[in-house]
Amino acid sequence: MSTLDNLMMGFGIALTPMNLLWALCGVTVGTAIGVLPGLGPGLTIALLLPITYKVDPTAAFILFAGIYYGAMYGGSTTSILINTPGESASIVTSLEGHKMAKRGRAGAALATAAVGSFIAGQIGTLGIAFLAEPVVNLALKFGPAEYFALMVLCFVTVSAVLGSYALRGLTALAIGLFFGLIGVDLQTGQARFHFGVMELLDGISVLIVAVGLFAIGETLHLAATKREEEKALELDGPVGMTKEDWKRSWKPWLRGTAFGFPIGAMPAGGAEIPTFLSYYTEKKLTKHPEEFGKGAIEGVAGPEAANNASAAGVLVPLLTLGLPTSATAAIMLSAFTSYGINPGPQLLQTQGPLVWTLIASLLIGNLMLLVLNLPLIRIWVKLLKIPAPQMYAGILVFATIGTYGISRSVVDLVLLYVVGFLGFLMRRFDFPTAPVIIGLILGPMAEQEFRRAMTISNGDMMIFIDKPIALSLLVIAALAALGPKLWSMLTARRG
Amino acid sequence: MTTRRDVLRAGLLAGAAAGLGLPVSTPAFAQAITSLDVFVPAAPGGGWDATARAIEAAMRDDDIIKEFKFEHVPGAGGMTGLPRFINGKKGSSNAIMIGGMVMVGAGAVAKSPVTIANVTPIARLTGEALVIVVPEASPHKTLADLVAALKKDPKTVSWAGGSAGGSDHIFIGMLAKSQGVDPRSVAYVAYSGGGPAQAALLGNQVTAGVSGYGEFEEQIKAGKLRALAVSGDTGQFGVKSLKEQGIDVSLYNWRGVFAAPGITPAQRTALVGLFDRMVAGPAWKKTLETRGWEGIYLSGDAYGTYVNNEITRITAILKDLGLAA
Amino acid sequence: MNQGGTKILPNLLVAAGVLVLAGLSALQSREIPPPVLQVAVGPGVAPWFVTVFLAVCGLGLLLAALRGGWAHDQDGTITEWGPLGLVGLGLFVNVALIETLGFILASTLMFPLVARGFGGRAPLRDLAIGFVLALSAFVLFDRVLGYKIGSGIVESLI
Repeated sequence: MSTLDNLMMGFGIALTPMNLLWALCGVTVGTAIGVLPGLGPGLTIALLLPITYKVDPTAAFILFAGIYYGAMYGGSTTSILINTPGESASIVTSLEGHKMAKRGRAGAALATAAVGSFIAGQIGTLGIAFLAEPVVNLALKFGPAEYFALMVLCFVTVSAVLGSYALRGLTALAIGLFFGLIGVDLQTGQARFHFGVMELLDGISVLIVAVGLFAIGETLHLAATKREEEKALELDGPVGMTKEDWKRSWKPWLRGTAFGFPIGAMPAGGAEIPTFLSYYTEKKLTKHPEEFGKGAIEGVAGPEAANNASAAGVLVPLLTLGLPTSATAAIMLSAFTSYGINPGPQLLQTQGPLVWTLIASLLIGNLMLLVLNLPLIRIWVKLLKIPAPQMYAGILVFATIGTYGISRSVVDLVLLYVVGFLGFLMRRFDFPTAPVIIGLILGPMAEQEFRRAMTISNGDMMIFIDKPIALSLLVIAALAALGPKLWSMLTARRG
Repeated sequence: MTTRRDVLRAGLLAGAAAGLGLPVSTPAFAQAITSLDVFVPAAPGGGWDATARAIEAAMRDDDIIKEFKFEHVPGAGGMTGLPRFINGKKGSSNAIMIGGMVMVGAGAVAKSPVTIANVTPIARLTGEALVIVVPEASPHKTLADLVAALKKDPKTVSWAGGSAGGSDHIFIGMLAKSQGVDPRSVAYVAYSGGGPAQAALLGNQVTAGVSGYGEFEEQIKAGKLRALAVSGDTGQFGVKSLKEQGIDVSLYNWRGVFAAPGITPAQRTALVGLFDRMVAGPAWKKTLETRGWEGIYLSGDAYGTYVNNEITRITAILKDLGLAA
Repeated sequence: MNQGGTKILPNLLVAAGVLVLAGLSALQSREIPPPVLQVAVGPGVAPWFVTVFLAVCGLGLLLAALRGGWAHDQDGTITEWGPLGLVGLGLFVNVALIETLGFILASTLMFPLVARGFGGRAPLRDLAIGFVLALSAFVLFDRVLGYKIGSGIVESLI
């Protein structure tokens, strides 16, 4: 069947009234938690994981997909109206978006963000649909050696994007790897790094680390920082764009998408890089350079599109390789396994209808989000009026449910706070936190695949060189790691 | 400590509830079990998961229990999930864990502080023969070919199967030993179950695979994997057993259910009763037939004794094979 | 532009912390016995790799700290110990009481403390808000979604 036939089949299932209702639920909840700082889509999906006991997988994934995309829209509202964005990917949006709002152009900023997110989301989702099969066909040839090479590439990408943070970023990665070692080793059954605590034998879940770093760490950080009350700006005037706004927005939308999707699809690419790239590109290309820094619409349109396109991109390795490259993706992965579905290259063959329905439903949910975020935006803005004391206290209550509620283990709660305190220190001393999650997710996978490959090859390292795909991936990784340095050395010599 | 506190609290609440004229509904006092929390210490798609789903289907069809919740904690032959079950469900009267021979072995290999002896045995449900498969394109057409290769150089024959020290691993160890090959030199590649191991086989990454027949069934029928032998005493599914092919090795992977530690004898009896009813019903009998499982039912104290004997037996085999100290 | 002297000490402590973690990692790696099976790569390899990685990062940070510390956006900010302490106390109350009192009461008590840390001025009102929030969260997650949040004083009454 062609991709289009498959997509039509997906729409057939996603367009039933019940499934539309699930999608609506998802995008509504997603937008709400996106607007509120602190509760990310990862924690929300984790909190809703028990729903997998009650409904069929299709319904659950439609819901989760809605939350995932919805959170992106909600986040941009917050970063435009308040200067403190809920998630790192929205920082760039706030650079120009908040300035626009201050000039009384909040309506236009929100509109270009919503339409840009919509366009990028649709293109990105179609990108998943058309990339899925080719990637799966390649991935079916993957064995341990290839997977290990792929993960080496991931680690290089992560380190490369750290930039001036290099040392602190690598430290964060090392801390993530350290967390990943805790638990029982699959290849030998040996317990490692358990510090004599029995609860640690089952390892540390991504959820605890993500919630600890982001929710608890951020709350502690904000409590310890002297703040001037950042009041949400009033949204007066209509939400919409003038002809001029449209003219200035459509190219940044498309360019942002072009940055966001491929980088998001790359393991560990994340959303920060494409949004920054998009911002600087627009700043360079704009015909109104004088407006940058004072609220230029291009500086909102481009990064917002990049942000949403990268969110779509993250789903490519998740659905084709079973490889989660973000905390939210890792939690969605556990939703698959709780249905007895093995994510990986075989997913598309064994669960074709589910995957295509998921993709169709992302397209539908994205359209719903456009409706929810243009005419109904004023309802979401009201959420920003929740005062900080009650909001942060509430976030901690939900963080408690998300950990203690799942395991009923006080050890997990203590662990959450320890990681939260670590997150606080990292925030205080300007360490990036995302590499901790990447190290925790990919570290154990890389180790297992390496050891499997070495067992298969009878201890011969040549297995990574004899296999063409593995070798190519490793060469790409080496180029990515050393390329920039060699380049700067060459140019320095010439200059 | 927790237990005493729970009892105290339950007592207080019972008093308070009686005083207020409210019905007492704490789980500790619940007589009839209306829902089951099923804990599967393996990845979904594996044999334990299949057992859990079969229990759900049979109990629903026969109106024994209607409400089920599942939790999967995969890894290390159940030794990753076991501590979580013990910690999370202690004293819970409606929590069951799927377990079996694999966990006995994994506990011995890992020298883990908790073992299957730390949970409450309820019933043994099934025994399943393992199957040895090779990828479609493999040069090994028969078991004899594969065994010859193993004897020639064990390091070049890689086996994909469940976690280290599990039944798949034990079985390959027994096979190697019977051929005079040091079981410790076998190139065994551990996955968290037969499902994930399948990808390595289909991608032609490993020489052979070993797992429960059910886990490879679809691929065997599709012709993508070739079944060379089963581990039971006699052939099954049109595949000859090792014994029938002249190798004196036989092994059943038995599976059963366990309850949380710290439950009362009455609570245990209630759980045993559920399974007694389930195996007597028509739905379970049909399941055994369709799945190709051997129904070797044993419950209550007899099962407890059996588990203890298995711990001794499996640990001895593992020591013999060099897998446990 | 950096007031170098003021950040060297905290940065040294951070570097020391990472080195302590590396030390812990080394201790735990040493406890892993050599594998019984003849596996190509044993269970101890990755732990030692991570240990060395952590140690190298720690030494790098130590060097950076001695050279005057690294610039960060918290320069010149004063830590608000009072609010931080209140939030910390709230978290502590929650974890200390959750097993005895149950989720609802523990979280209810945490709520006004955290709110106070963020400048909340009506502790009694916050206590009430916390109770309502914890109660509705419990009903939603335990009763509707089927979590097992555990028992407690209020939990058993509803």
